[in-house]
Amino acid sequence: MKVDEREPIKALVTGVPGLDTVLGGGLPEFSFNLIAGGPGSGKTILAHQIMFQNATVERPSLYFTVLGEPTLKMLRYQRQFKFFDPTMAGSAIQFVNLSAEVMDRDLDEVLRRIVSETERLKPGIVVVDSFRTIGGQHAAAVTDPLDIDQFVQRLALHLTSWEATSFLLGEYAVEEQRNPVFTVADGILWLAQATDRNSVVRKLQVVKSRGRAPMPGLHTFRITDDGLQVFPRIPEHKRLRHEQVRRRLSTGVPGMDEMIGGGIVAGDAVMLTGPAGSGKSTVATQFIAEGLRQGETAVIAVFEEYPEDYLARANARDSDVGRMIASGKLELIYLRPLDLSVDEALAAILEAVQRLGASRIVIDSLSGFEVALAPTFREDFRESLYRLVGTLTATGVTVFMTAEVPEGFADARFTSEKVSFITDEIIVQRYVEIEGELLRVMAVIKVRGSDHSHEFRTYEITANGVNVGGPLKEYDGIITGVPTLRAKPTRTKKRTPRAE
Amino acid sequence: MRAAFSAQAFMKSAGGGKDSPPDSAARKIAHRLIESSRSEGQGADSPARAAAAACDRLYRELSRWVGRDGCHALFTRALAQARTDHPALGKIQLHARAEPYIDGVAEAIIAQGDPATAQALEAMLVSLVELLGRLIGDDMSMRLIERSLVLTEVRGPVSENRREEA
Repeated sequence: MKVDEREPIKALVTGVPGLDTVLGGGLPEFSFNLIAGGPGSGKTILAHQIMFQNATVERPSLYFTVLGEPTLKMLRYQRQFKFFDPTMAGSAIQFVNLSAEVMDRDLDEVLRRIVSETERLKPGIVVVDSFRTIGGQHAAAVTDPLDIDQFVQRLALHLTSWEATSFLLGEYAVEEQRNPVFTVADGILWLAQATDRNSVVRKLQVVKSRGRAPMPGLHTFRITDDGLQVFPRIPEHKRLRHEQVRRRLSTGVPGMDEMIGGGIVAGDAVMLTGPAGSGKSTVATQFIAEGLRQGETAVIAVFEEYPEDYLARANARDSDVGRMIASGKLELIYLRPLDLSVDEALAAILEAVQRLGASRIVIDSLSGFEVALAPTFREDFRESLYRLVGTLTATGVTVFMTAEVPEGFADARFTSEKVSFITDEIIVQRYVEIEGELLRVMAVIKVRGSDHSHEFRTYEITANGVNVGGPLKEYDGIITGVPTLRAKPTRTKKRTPRAE
Repeated sequence: MRAAFSAQAFMKSAGGGKDSPPDSAARKIAHRLIESSRSEGQGADSPARAAAAACDRLYRELSRWVGRDGCHALFTRALAQARTDHPALGKIQLHARAEPYIDGVAEAIIAQGDPATAQALEAMLVSLVELLGRLIGDDMSMRLIERSLVLTEVRGPVSENRREEA
């Protein structure tokens, strides 16, 4: 048989955002799966979410509860999730309690009950929660350890014969993977909670998936009122960059486009660095506002301050910003949940970018982003950011990032050494002291594949935003923060008027 | 959050002691359970026995969902709650994992009379329905109980003979 003649196994949509991507296109229909993990890892929620997604009156989902969490309590808590539709209970969703059979320690009776209920209801999905308690109850009672092996084998055969996609839920430790259920299972989803200092990050791994090519590695997930949401790690092969047209985008900052060589190259990743109060967010907002004026759509991801405050400041300079949010042309994303992962941030930003068809995005700031991350993700921040920026620019969107660098007058560092390599264009801001006054200057450090200004130019922050002034040609040592006058002082004539 | 667990309603109901209004959803479905038992010939000449049969049926069907122990816990609480207003329930006993589940009906009828025993058992049913509603939501509890009515019609009721034998 030729490869293209093979009958593909139908995939079941899980209803868990991000999980189908991780699974390589959903769960194989009629597969026999194990959802394993420690207490509180989200096994029951995941099973319910899959069950509610796929249940119909004609092909109901059948949920066997065994020992462990009492059914009443399980229903009480599960119904708090938005996916839990109480009107499906009793028709499309059926619960059956097996505790009596399990307590009688009769594996044959447990199997008989599961099979008879499956035969009666003809479910599309079967869940046994917790399967571990069946094995646990019998571990001491069985004389032949093959009993459990045979039970698992027979259960898998019966459920597959009844064309049910089934899920056994169980608390297993990593070292227990020699348990027979791991061998029999077609798919194994492992849920875990990784603790690092005070931070806890939930992670999911597809340990096994017959007939599928799942995404390798650990994928972070979060549990909210909506249930589980998985944030797939961005695979290397998906970062193929689209062919960019070298179109220039105006920054909206008078004088700045000229410094960059005609504006920011569309699809580039730009980084603006500077000390606190140097006007990074102001420039970023001007960049967005200019795009909106050109009829583009945009996204701002805020990490450092509340979106209301951010918006109020932006509106004070340009009332278009608030208006554009109301009209759906601009979206402000506030990403400061506890223990954020880079993949979660990327998922939120990408979703907004794709929904709006955005061409400009601001990440304000990378410094705030790094602080918002769970400690475990800060360790590989460079690598994660590389993937994030690569994925965003691959969509064609122009990414404008701000980053705070510590101000030290004698410190010649222009950018954060951690992240400058990921950018196509780098603009730096800094303070200099001239004649006892603190002035702001900016310079363009890098524009990939294009010429640009090499001058330090003064700039001022006015009520309307940032205005770039003239160069400080008569001074040496600007880079030190304390320049010295080289020639006859004529600077006062060239300085741009200061804002009142 | 979808679930509408009203703290006020909980306080009102959880205090126990007072019967629900006649038009409450819990009382209506309790009536339906009892009427359904009666129409199937369970305690046709005795409202108290019809009510007991309805309790047996609900115990059996709900046990499928929440397990016998879970269901027994619910009935135990409902019985304790209804007892404060209905002395006839003093003779009633619950036998988990046995059939019939409700025991002591004959003694209660002798001691308190059939109407008072029927009223007491109905109050216990109402209390159980309300309790289940507070735990998993009124909408879902009603659906499960409605389901038990349908399933019993399919499978047939608990034999009255078995109650008599017991």
